[in-house]
Amino acid sequence: MNPAHEHDESLSAFLDGELSDQQARSMIRRLGEDAVLRARYAEYCATGDILRGHRHDIPDLTDKIMAALDQEPTLLAPVKKPPNRRPMLWLAAAATAAIAWGLWSTAPRQETAVPLAAATPPSDVVPYLAAHQDYAQSVVTQPEMNYSLVSLSGAAR
Amino acid sequence: MKVVWLLLLCATCAQAGSPLSQADAAAWLQKMADASRHLSYEGVFVMRQGDTMQTLSVSNRPTAQGYESLLTALDGSQREVRCSQSGAVTVMADGSQIKVEKRLNHRHFPVLLPANPLPLLNWYEVRLGDTARVAGLDCRNVEMQPRDAFRWGYVLCAEKDSGLPLKAMVVNGSSQPLMQSAFAEVKLGAAPRLGAAPALPAMPEAARQVETEQVVAKNLPPGFTRIAAVIRHLPNMQGEVEHWVFSDGLTHISLFLTPAHKPVETVKGESTHGMVNLMRRQVGDFQATVLGDAPWPAVEAIALGLEPKK
Repeated sequence: MNPAHEHDESLSAFLDGELSDQQARSMIRRLGEDAVLRARYAEYCATGDILRGHRHDIPDLTDKIMAALDQEPTLLAPVKKPPNRRPMLWLAAAATAAIAWGLWSTAPRQETAVPLAAATPPSDVVPYLAAHQDYAQSVVTQPEMNYSLVSLSGAAR
Repeated sequence: MKVVWLLLLCATCAQAGSPLSQADAAAWLQKMADASRHLSYEGVFVMRQGDTMQTLSVSNRPTAQGYESLLTALDGSQREVRCSQSGAVTVMADGSQIKVEKRLNHRHFPVLLPANPLPLLNWYEVRLGDTARVAGLDCRNVEMQPRDAFRWGYVLCAEKDSGLPLKAMVVNGSSQPLMQSAFAEVKLGAAPRLGAAPALPAMPEAARQVETEQVVAKNLPPGFTRIAAVIRHLPNMQGEVEHWVFSDGLTHISLFLTPAHKPVETVKGESTHGMVNLMRRQVGDFQATVLGDAPWPAVEAIALGLEPKK
């Protein structure tokens, strides 16, 4: 660790109140003697003020921060990447599923639904349905019918 | 020129969706009714009802007496319907035999509207819908919305020049299709002469008129009249049955009367998707079965309005 870094860590610990009383007095004495260290101290203070939103008037601060970042060693440790969220693909998949369901559910099916019949289907209705087709549009198809008992009231009983 | 196009566009916008005047509505319905009878055409159409689908071919040509048409089922059992002014027969292949039955009536796509469709304007509001393309031809949707709950709605797509319906939909009150027929392929113009009918065996008369009525229908929905009352034999059924038909010209409801040999349970029936409704009950000494491709209120009104004739 070079001396500059050692000073930076001491300054940082000083500003954070992490030095002992003796170490703090020593740092104050050095700041009085070392102009470079004072300038560094001023930068640390200004950075803290900006991070806390107290001041915005340090024009060359960005350059200095970028220069400091350039001097930082490159980390080669693997970094956990955030999950790759692609909401548009999910929307497309959902739309495709909806269309597929629509096609499937509206497509003609070979099997016929089980009638929920509450009444025994009248045995002689089929010839009637066929005879009615003289007047209906159907030519071959017999409609699938469901039957239920009806309770009548009044004169129709 | 741009102004003309804008005016045309605005005129189309104004027409689409808004009810037509009685005169315009009458003209559209009459054009479609005439085209389906008096135009020569042949084609293949697909009919879909509920979960079932049928493919049929149809050819039509005008004759001196009116028109004749041939309808052939292309899937399922072999069956064809030959229609002319003199009547209609169903010809079925049953193994090596050919069975022929006389039909009381003939009504099939695209001949759906009655020859005189104008009375329908009392019961339907007519609107122009969007343009569409069916079987490679441009057509205009003509929507017939019922004014009451006693009939289904119809949407017919009229070919832009001839007016021939290229597609027909029966829709319920929520505009959901109950039955659809649409040409997959159609040729307008000269249709070939219909092939000679196979040698037909002697057929009994399909029906004879009812002479003495023993039941009276006291409550017909608005616009419905009785258009037939016959006594007939039905295939696959012993004995005779009395068959009445009520219609407003587009919707048809049948009443079948047979002697009630035992007390008749009152039964309601409806097809899977609700297009066909049925009610059976006892009326005097008769079992009455009312059924039709009509909403339940219409079937129920007719069935409950039946009384023994005094």
